[in-house]
Amino acid sequence: MQIQYRHWNAAHGWRGANALREPPQLVLCFGSREGLAGGERYRELRTFYPDSHIVGCSTGGQVHGDDVADDVIVAVALRFARTQVRVVKEAIESREASRVCGMRFARRLAAPDLAGVFVLSEGLNVNGNELIAGITEVLGPGLPVTGGLAGDGARFEQTLVGADGEPQPHCIAAIGFYGASLRFTHGCAGGWDVFGPRRKVTKSDGRVVVELDGEPPLDLYTRYLGEEEAAAMPGSGIAFPLRIHDEAAPERQIVRSVFAVDRNARTLTYAADIPEGCTAQLMRANFDSLAAGAGEAGRQARNALAGEIAGDKLAILVSCTGRRKVMGQRTQDELDAVAAELGDDVTRIGFYSYGEIAPPAATGRCELHNQTMTITMIAEVAA
Amino acid sequence: MHRLLARQIRQSTDEAGQVDMTRLGELVSAAYEESDRDRRRTDRAIKLMIEELEQTHKRAEQDLSQAREFLDSIIENIPIAVFAKDARDSRYILLNRAGEEYYGMPREEMLGRTPEQIFPADLARVVSEQDRRVVESGTPLFLEGHRLEVGVHGHDRVVNSRKLLVRDGNGAPQYLVGVIEDVTERITNQARISHLAHHDALTDLPNRSAFNAALAGRLERAQEASTSFAVLSLDLDRFKDVNDVFGHPVGDMMMRAAAERLVADADGAFVARIGGDEFMILMPDDVRREDVLSLAERLVEAIGNELEVEEFFSHVGLSVGIAVYPHDGEDAATLLANADSALYRAKREGRGRVCFFETEMDRELRDRRLLQHDLRQAVEQNQLLVYFQPQARIDGEIIGFEALVRWDHPTRGFVPPDQFIPLAEENGLIIQIGEWVLREACREAASWPRPLQVAVNLSPVQFQAGDLERSIHQILLETGLAPTRLEVEITEGVLIGDFTRALNLLRRLKALGIRIAMDDFGTGYSSLSYLQSFPFDKIKIDRSFILDLEATPQSAEIVRAVLSLAHALHIPVVAEGVETEAQRAFLEHEACEEMQGYLIGQPEPIEHYFDLIGIKVDCRRYA
Repeated sequence: MQIQYRHWNAAHGWRGANALREPPQLVLCFGSREGLAGGERYRELRTFYPDSHIVGCSTGGQVHGDDVADDVIVAVALRFARTQVRVVKEAIESREASRVCGMRFARRLAAPDLAGVFVLSEGLNVNGNELIAGITEVLGPGLPVTGGLAGDGARFEQTLVGADGEPQPHCIAAIGFYGASLRFTHGCAGGWDVFGPRRKVTKSDGRVVVELDGEPPLDLYTRYLGEEEAAAMPGSGIAFPLRIHDEAAPERQIVRSVFAVDRNARTLTYAADIPEGCTAQLMRANFDSLAAGAGEAGRQARNALAGEIAGDKLAILVSCTGRRKVMGQRTQDELDAVAAELGDDVTRIGFYSYGEIAPPAATGRCELHNQTMTITMIAEVAA
Repeated sequence: MHRLLARQIRQSTDEAGQVDMTRLGELVSAAYEESDRDRRRTDRAIKLMIEELEQTHKRAEQDLSQAREFLDSIIENIPIAVFAKDARDSRYILLNRAGEEYYGMPREEMLGRTPEQIFPADLARVVSEQDRRVVESGTPLFLEGHRLEVGVHGHDRVVNSRKLLVRDGNGAPQYLVGVIEDVTERITNQARISHLAHHDALTDLPNRSAFNAALAGRLERAQEASTSFAVLSLDLDRFKDVNDVFGHPVGDMMMRAAAERLVADADGAFVARIGGDEFMILMPDDVRREDVLSLAERLVEAIGNELEVEEFFSHVGLSVGIAVYPHDGEDAATLLANADSALYRAKREGRGRVCFFETEMDRELRDRRLLQHDLRQAVEQNQLLVYFQPQARIDGEIIGFEALVRWDHPTRGFVPPDQFIPLAEENGLIIQIGEWVLREACREAASWPRPLQVAVNLSPVQFQAGDLERSIHQILLETGLAPTRLEVEITEGVLIGDFTRALNLLRRLKALGIRIAMDDFGTGYSSLSYLQSFPFDKIKIDRSFILDLEATPQSAEIVRAVLSLAHALHIPVVAEGVETEAQRAFLEHEACEEMQGYLIGQPEPIEHYFDLIGIKVDCRRYA
């Protein structure tokens, strides 16, 4: 596999490494919503790569080398030696259609030599759990599925996803990789720690938590954040995600970030469903533990990469916008930690997302995460 | 240099290597703010977390304390003694209220002390030894049904106790928990129930089931040892009268007195009361026949002596039937049946007698049972008939008929009433038969052109059971017979039972317009008080006096006396069994009002008397 890394900014336009000797089969690109809107960048990439699949999404910040940048669009062009690539795209009309949408994807991608699936989904109007459940229902729990939900900076207004066309809202794209030569590994970790007492979700409705231990959740968060920071909810609420305890599968790490706030009802909406009656516990982190978590994800992905690799290696980093919000200028610490684990010979690209998709090491069952760093490594073994 | 500062400097340096100090200042300042915010958030979170954990802890403590109170109140109030001791030194650390009661001392005197400080030395040694065994072995100790050695209840209490070891988190012995349950009542009740199951509640003698068990055991032994023994079946004669006359409370006392006499004179033989006024005696092995007889006769004599209970005196008698193993039966059922046959014979031969079983009795008894069985069928299969015997004024004018039941047995032919009526009275069939006769008689009489009266006999059993008044009323309504044409004949047996009840019933029947006749007068007690207590419409002189009129002068005197008594009371008299003109003439001379007997006519089917009831044969046949 050969990789060409390119990046764009308003001052100097596209820059990048030397062109590939042969045309790439797949181009991945990540940028801010403003950067991708209008399709200008897509059309430019199309002129560079007239015969390639071009897939990308809007984000909450792009991983650009060791930095996180908002005003840079990053792209990689991938030329596989023996791997085939198929790209499918679906429009999603409503959150309720998520599962069906996932099943449609999976049926279109399914093949005996399917080796991995990378999903880029609409970030706001989708039920990520259901989307993944639909995919794994068809493909089976053993097939690695990774990816992330598109982002919109800190605005949570609109996310864009593109696949061989101008990036658009309400769109989900998936890339299927085929062939025995492909290595498709992943890692996933958070670095968060639970703290404080366990609380009962005494009332909830889908993603909306109405009461925690009989108390409106906004009151709890206000207490923990202080009035000043609470005014900046839901953004500031990112600092305290909820760990959900699944009594049936205690080893499952389910973490849910605050997504929206209703100040009248004093309820909070989380990134995915929180069932009534379950036990929840607040989580918190510090800069070092988050960075260590990211490093752990890198180590998992790298260690899983077996066999003699021929050519370049790609790591796609999908980290949570919540982590970036919490870490601020320290965000780069987690990128450094990942880089240290992956090594210098791995090309890194990635973005800050509204939700990460990867099977966690504990269960191996693909899930939607919040507040994690997930890493997908793609490479080909020698013939 | 801090990694962040290095990064900030890099981010503030342009391509030419110039550091933009303003930009750097902004980055550094922002980083400080981020750190400050993070620290504040962390401080706040820690503070809140501590508060919350404290609250949670407090809540948990409250829950724990509530749960403890709940359990304490249960332990305190269960009626089973519960204690706990320190496993190391056997010091009491818990004792509930029931425990205080058992030990007979307040818990303050026990808690914190060892058995040696509480109990007498020998007892303390036992307790401590038990504790040591449980602690060392780790296995619980169960003691069932032992006597409580200490406490106010003392040695009359029986308890079940258990002692078990509770270990601490590291597996080391921590507590000894003990439970002591007072099972005295339970054990006493069990004994009482067992006694009740095998003894008669009234006399406390062994009951039928105990007797059967004893007999079975005796048979087994006798078969092995080839011994013989006698079984006595005893029945108190006329004991029913005692109950009837004095009431059941006195009857019960008399029964106890009789039972005591039996036991006292039975020479240690096994005496059981197996029902109402029936007893059984199991004699020792190999008692000679004459000794059995003399014992039985002694018993008859003992019971025959006047029984005195409080201020009541009574005469009852005893009849005894004897069967001897193996001669009269080799199994329990045969022996008992044959002793009963002998008893039946003894009673029939005049009561107050002792009879050994004889083979012929067996046949008689079987025959009797067969007849009883047939009678039941007879009722079902309409083998019973009603015959009518005319009654007339002394000058011969027919005034009515007495209805009499007859049984036409398919193989035996006509069975005499004095054979089957007592059987029907024994098994209660008389109620059904009596009602049937009454209905037939009334229906028949109602169909007669001449409004002659019809007399029907009522058995004492009919008076005691069922609703006789309603039944008669119903029959009168059904048949349409005027009550004034019906006469019921009762014997004094009706009045001997529940006198008040019988009297009330007679009054109500009379109120309906029915006439009441006293039957068989002159036999039995013929208590004159009966005549005084109820205004009978008629007195029937028993046939035996009329038949003997010519033979014995006493009979004539008795008849005269009865007639003069009746006349004095203004009660008309019917003479029964009038067979000759001489008898009729005598009665007419003595002003006897009415008569009945072969002189007038025998009991016959009503067809025989069509002319008397006023219909021509032809008319009746096609009516």
